Amino acid sequence: MTSLVLIIALVFLLSIQTTFLRVVFPGNIVPDLILIVAVYSGIHLKKSRGIWLAALVGFFQDCLSGGLLGVNFLSKGLVGLFFCVIKDKIIVQGIIPIGFFIFATSLVDGMIYFVSMTSLLGGQIKGNFLFSSIILFGVCNAVIAPFLFYMFDKARQWLHRKLPTQSLKSI
Amino acid sequence: MPYRRPQSKYLISILAGILMFSLVLMTVNARYDKVNLFFESIVVWFVSPAQNFFTSVTNSITDVFDHYFFLVRTSSENDRLLLELGRLSKKNNELLERNKLLERSANLTEFTGEDERPFVIAKVIGYDATQWSKVIFINRGTDHKVEKNLSVVTDAGVVGHVIHASLKSSKVLLITDSRSAVDSLFQETRKSGITVGTGEDICEMKFVPISAKVSVGDKVVSSGLGGVFPKGLMVGTVVDIVKQDHELFQGIRVATSVDLSSVEEVVVLLSGQEEG
Repeated sequence: MTSLVLIIALVFLLSIQTTFLRVVFPGNIVPDLILIVAVYSGIHLKKSRGIWLAALVGFFQDCLSGGLLGVNFLSKGLVGLFFCVIKDKIIVQGIIPIGFFIFATSLVDGMIYFVSMTSLLGGQIKGNFLFSSIILFGVCNAVIAPFLFYMFDKARQWLHRKLPTQSLKSI
Repeated sequence: MPYRRPQSKYLISILAGILMFSLVLMTVNARYDKVNLFFESIVVWFVSPAQNFFTSVTNSITDVFDHYFFLVRTSSENDRLLLELGRLSKKNNELLERNKLLERSANLTEFTGEDERPFVIAKVIGYDATQWSKVIFINRGTDHKVEKNLSVVTDAGVVGHVIHASLKSSKVLLITDSRSAVDSLFQETRKSGITVGTGEDICEMKFVPISAKVSVGDKVVSSGLGGVFPKGLMVGTVVDIVKQDHELFQGIRVATSVDLSSVEEVVVLLSGQEEG
């Protein structure tokens, strides 16, 4: 049951990312919901499940993107791993801490993309455009993230109320 | 049972796994670009119905805004359109004349014209899941004879080409993506170059010699070389030229003829060889 809810939520998020967001943010800067999910799952899911979920959503994002396959798997997997390791040492609650960590993570995500594309595809990729938009990309994510974190928290609370405790122990 | 933090050996093995798997994926993708990876098709197949649904809902909402809430601009828009109509009528007349001249020339030289290519009309159902590459998803796939490397156009010009086709949907790499390149020429002077994407909403035309006469407003069309885009499709219009004496080539920026941020329907030009 938990897996089904997660799959539906992922399809919903991926669909929003690839359709609705382009209408709301018509320019070149579009928030990355998948990155926010990766950070959230790294922090809030128990044991190492956050890492796997982060890597999985990154992989799905790769499949729905025209970029190099594996780039988002790598960046989101690393993000999930990083937050899973340090989650006991940091407090990511409230607008400013969430915004700060998401902003920093966005910069790292953009850099991983840039390095992967330029190193593996060599001169085929012109990456200058990335630098001009990466800060705005980070700000955009940082603004959206607190709201999404709040929604995810609410969704988890709802799940804990509705579903049997046994099936939610792992989340 | 109390919660235990994952052990460091376990975390290191996960890190190694992530690095290995992503490296394998990227290497396979970079080296063997022609391989259609099956899991990509599965994910696209799984998500495309939801994309269809969300696109329909989004279009309906946008439609309401466009038709009811933004009527304030209609009057000035109407004036502008009347002017445009007059201009286009004049242009149409000129083109009709030119068309008749061409028809007569064709008859004289027994010019058979270009082959009629079959095509399929597709709806845009989604955009790239990241902001770094320029890709759209269309609701036609191998079921409709759409395959890799087919050109995608609208009545205004070139949109891009298919980079991955699954059963009922396909990925189209837009000409503004930094990996896209279209062999092109200037409509008037017939000087050639390569129109490449920049990752932004504009393209650049490369390898145009410094001595070539180019001016802002010149139309750029596809040359037909390269095997993807047929000859004569509109690519865009020159909006900026940078000439430097010590350079061999000019720096030319080209605005795409199609507004790629709001394209809703496209035409996929199928390959000429019909089965059976």
